[in-house]
Amino acid sequence: MGNSIEQTVGDLQEQETLDAVKAQLAQGADPLEILQTCQKGLDIVGQKYTDGIYYISDLMLAGEIFKQVSAILIPKLGSQSATTKGKVVIGTVKGDIHDIGKDLVVNMVTAAGYEVTDLGVDVPTERFVEALKETGATVVGLSGLLTLAFDAMKETVQGLKDAGLRDQVKVMIGGGMISEDICNYTGADGWGNNTQQAVNFCKEWIK
Amino acid sequence: MSADTKYAKNLALINKAIACEPVERIPLAYAASAFSALYMGVPLSQYAVKMGLQTDVSLAAMKKLGGFDAQNAPSSGAPFDVVLASLWLSKVQLPGRELPENTVWQVLEKESMTVADYDYIIEKGWPKFQNKMFAKVMNSPWDFKKFIIKTILRTPFTNRRFKKDGVVVLAGAIGTYPFEPLCGGRSMHNFFMDLYRMPDKVEAVMDVMLPHMIKGLIMGGKGSKGLGVWVGGWRSASSLLAPKLWDRFVFPYMKKMVEAVTDAGLIAILHLDQDWTRDLARLKELPAKKCLLNTDGMTDLREAKKLLDGHMAILGDVPSSLFSHGTPQQITDYVRDLINDVGPTGLILCPGCDAPFNTKFENMEAFVAAAREFGNV
Repeated sequence: MGNSIEQTVGDLQEQETLDAVKAQLAQGADPLEILQTCQKGLDIVGQKYTDGIYYISDLMLAGEIFKQVSAILIPKLGSQSATTKGKVVIGTVKGDIHDIGKDLVVNMVTAAGYEVTDLGVDVPTERFVEALKETGATVVGLSGLLTLAFDAMKETVQGLKDAGLRDQVKVMIGGGMISEDICNYTGADGWGNNTQQAVNFCKEWIK
Repeated sequence: MSADTKYAKNLALINKAIACEPVERIPLAYAASAFSALYMGVPLSQYAVKMGLQTDVSLAAMKKLGGFDAQNAPSSGAPFDVVLASLWLSKVQLPGRELPENTVWQVLEKESMTVADYDYIIEKGWPKFQNKMFAKVMNSPWDFKKFIIKTILRTPFTNRRFKKDGVVVLAGAIGTYPFEPLCGGRSMHNFFMDLYRMPDKVEAVMDVMLPHMIKGLIMGGKGSKGLGVWVGGWRSASSLLAPKLWDRFVFPYMKKMVEAVTDAGLIAILHLDQDWTRDLARLKELPAKKCLLNTDGMTDLREAKKLLDGHMAILGDVPSSLFSHGTPQQITDYVRDLINDVGPTGLILCPGCDAPFNTKFENMEAFVAAAREFGNV
């Protein structure tokens, strides 16, 4: 398989990517291999974002392209399955009902090959603890747009400690107003105000 | 000093700052709606919906804090869900109704309009669609006509009350360009995908909307007797959009709106949330000394000063996170550094965006004290 799909994903060419995926399937290409090639394309997108060439809207388009590609390829995987790089739990913390930033992170972390459990918005600490125990995820992402989210994030991190999970789980927090000070305040391991940072944390923390 | 004299002095000071001329002290503006209620012991469930109470509470809080020269954008008096629904085309949840008491109101960022609605706007016009959408997203017994009439009647009265306290109202009316209500109505993800997938259609819709939005904003601004109007942007920030999208769907509309309101004799207060640093240089294309760059702590104001010095004054920008979770010393340091780096000309000190509901009382008091200590030139 050539690099054309990797490049069309990297160049955010939506229709060209979908056409190429369908064409390669028709020629009998391995769906898993096509999916992995698309993920390499997403790495190009991530690098371009890091380099200041792409912006949030571009990341959203990349996530959308990957979602459509996955919808075509996953049903064709049969007994094969895409290898999961690791498990991640993500939610918007209690008191905050904003889901745009959280959804973006869910899409991009999923597209990067991680199995994501999306808990939705206004998520209490107990629900994060339950989900981490149920899934065995080793990374949790706490999202929040408002300043009220900072205390809820801190309470959630404390909840993980109380549940005996803190040593096994890395915590990333995200939102437009998050900063290093807020990260220190909440006791999280890392922070970001863009989706790529969340993907980078997953890569760094899940080996 | 009489209220009239105090108002005249404050107005002269503010006008000097906007014109980037030397000032004897750096003006201090207030923007802290929900904080004001909690600072004065008023439940947010009442503050959010009771006409008149919002003005009472803001004025009382400003007085208790020791007085301000200006108020950024006083509440129109309409319930917050009504005001925000008109800007976002989205449902709004209120404390004491959908949300717990004494938490802040929140926009429910869900899709409320479809791609088919673009054709409706093109065919039937923006006002008709606005009426239809308003009915759909409102949880209160308000229709769009009632909102407009009540607002138009109320704002001159509200602004006179500020004037009686010697306080200059900067934005007598608040508005935005087509990007924001469409983004709210379609929801951010869907709208951003529309920009890539059907750019010509979105542009045609925006072209239909803009003249109505400009007309409404100027009417509101002139009627209010405030100094200017908000031209607000939040999801249209440079940090969120690819340059080709921003250049096509944001700046041309912002520019036309700003030119129209300044031609009408109003100051354009560019209330820009999020990070706009990438495109600060473009703001030089806007009329000189007739705009205020009103940011929320995320845009690089040092860069803004470098690029816009003498052209556009700055209104801002102590970040919300510092008000809610910082210390008085951090607030003091922030204000001192801001004045040193960005002032003393072309600067009006103000909380970034709107100080959050959970601002620590001592932090707002530190903000005022720091402005007094370091603001004398």
